[in-house]
Amino acid sequence: MVEPKANPVERQPNADTFLPLSRVRTIMKSSMDTGLITNEVLFLMTKCTELFVRHLAGEAYADAFRQQPGETLKYEHLSQLVNKSKNLEFLLQIVPEKIRVHEFQEMLRLNRSAGSDDDDSESGSESDD
Amino acid sequence: MVERIEDLNLPNSVIARLIKESLPESASVSKEARAAIARAASVFAIFVTSSSTALAHKQNHKTITAKDILQTLGELDFESFVPSLTEDLEIYRKMVKDKKESKASKKDTSTTAENANASTTAATEDATE
Repeated sequence: MVEPKANPVERQPNADTFLPLSRVRTIMKSSMDTGLITNEVLFLMTKCTELFVRHLAGEAYADAFRQQPGETLKYEHLSQLVNKSKNLEFLLQIVPEKIRVHEFQEMLRLNRSAGSDDDDSESGSESDD
Repeated sequence: MVERIEDLNLPNSVIARLIKESLPESASVSKEARAAIARAASVFAIFVTSSSTALAHKQNHKTITAKDILQTLGELDFESFVPSLTEDLEIYRKMVKDKKESKASKKDTSTTAENANASTTAATEDATE
């Protein structure tokens, strides 16, 4: 499946970042209990996030349109990729597969009739008290 | 720290550019797909940060290092990122070193305000070692 010669991310190594470091720092801080983020770590995380964006877009596109370039990358292609890639599992809630309302209602009904008594309260949507 | 949830968003224009660069020239991206990639990138940064933090803590380190991040990427199944990130890091380290040296030779380096800012904080980074 993965061709070794065709690197999906063709780029020169360099010390320039596209994404704003300050924003990446804010994002990192939101998940970290410790305060200090060295510039080196911040640089690396920024680079790594950029690489991820390229990877995600490139893979989704390559997956959807193997032979015919010139198409539009759509949300569905992303959710398909997320759904089948083991290392993108953490995005399942973030980029969920779209579902039609009547399919969802059907799912709910099936769930109810299956007698599952776990309530579907989504916790933690609002974290400030 | 994070007052608004929008503070965790990465700038759309930069994301759009990164996506464009990783797709064939004739390709386009739907708005929805772009938004999903941007969201995924923020979550990715948080995910890697918290995983790296956990790894650092396990080794009784308070703050994460570049090594922690690279190791975490391997564990999270993104080892394909590691070689190019390692190259970037080498160049970054060299750049920081060069900057420090040129700063030592002539006290006043009047580059762009942005660069000057970055190098002063780079110096503090070294002090924490």
